[in-house]
Amino acid sequence: MTEHDVIFDAMGSHVRLLIGEPGPGMAPAPAAAEQARQLIVEFDATLSRFKSESELCALNADPRERVPASELLRTAVKAGLEAAERSGGLVDPTLVGEIETAGYVASRAGVPGAPLGAALAEAPMRRPARPNPAEEWRQIEVDDAAGTITRPPGLRFDTGGAGKGLAADLVARQLRGYSRFIVDCGGDIRIGGSDALVTPYEVFVEHPLTGERAFVLKLGFGAVATSGLNVRIWRDEDGNYSHHLLDPSSGRPAWTGLIGATALGDTAVEAETFAKAALLSGPEGGRDVLAERGGLLVHDNGRIETVGPFAAQPRIRIPDLAASA
Amino acid sequence: MRAGAAEVTEPARKSRRPGPALVVWSSIALFGVLFALLTYQLSASQPAPPRPVVVRKVLKRRVVTTYVPTPGRNSVSSSGALATERSSPSYAPVTTGAS
Repeated sequence: MTEHDVIFDAMGSHVRLLIGEPGPGMAPAPAAAEQARQLIVEFDATLSRFKSESELCALNADPRERVPASELLRTAVKAGLEAAERSGGLVDPTLVGEIETAGYVASRAGVPGAPLGAALAEAPMRRPARPNPAEEWRQIEVDDAAGTITRPPGLRFDTGGAGKGLAADLVARQLRGYSRFIVDCGGDIRIGGSDALVTPYEVFVEHPLTGERAFVLKLGFGAVATSGLNVRIWRDEDGNYSHHLLDPSSGRPAWTGLIGATALGDTAVEAETFAKAALLSGPEGGRDVLAERGGLLVHDNGRIETVGPFAAQPRIRIPDLAASA
Repeated sequence: MRAGAAEVTEPARKSRRPGPALVVWSSIALFGVLFALLTYQLSASQPAPPRPVVVRKVLKRRVVTTYVPTPGRNSVSSSGALATERSSPSYAPVTTGAS
């Protein structure tokens, strides 16, 4: 059995595809990988906040209330709204102005992050993030029949909360029928194929402080995603540390007592939503977010905590936690 | 004294010897028993059923890894053509982390 492992850069991250044998009448794995790569390149070109020619930037700049939109953009907006709905507004796709104010104006791909340990030492008092009571995201409507997106002009949208997960899910849909596959869009991972159920993939969870393997999962289906403060972290103009995970209630970077959260889900969008919502909720709220599907929290002091069905065998294998506690 | 002793022992020796009929019938009976035993064993031992043949398909896993360069960055071709390809029995670990 041959498995094709394709690696490339897109969406400001590494993208990786592992594709097994094709089903009857399906294209060979290398051809499927190229199709998937083209989809991700198109996804990035359409939905990047950092590419002025992207359709997303055009939508955000459009003075009309109702704007014609491609199927891909409509799908992305719906995914963002679903993430907001499922997280009770914590994963808010309308914080574009706030993230720019925090200093995240251009892509930070390839830009080394500030040291997380130093940032934690200077960070303000920890508290759980809260949703913005204004819930502006509820003003966005997608009409697939008409092919339009409606929102108050000036209300900008960003796929940040669900973008890479959605890309992984769309590629996974293309790869249905292959014996096994992994789609890894910058750590948002979708797994599928009947053979993967028999011989699951091993997925390592990276520790946000040390960069080492904190955990090993065995996954034969579904998705896993991680959200963390160790990347896209910088010093702002005032010399304060900032990062990309904002508290919607304040519009400022959230310091909740957690520096990382990994979540399982049926889809990568779901897993990514849970991971972000857990991190933003802080230790107590994060446990509640992850209780049903399972996940892993990393506290400010580096302590790893497993939550819910994450510990279930045989889907997941847990190494010695005492050593990392 | 010696003659008397000989008279006493001779009849006793005669009485211990089995008669010919007994020897014949005993031999026939022993043969019959052994014959029956062997017949039973022979009929009881059925031929061994054929061992099930297990077909094992040995799958050798081979991973072909392709690195696609980002156009304009360390690229061999500006069209984004495949840059390097290697084949190995396993793949590098898949890692989930913040990005």
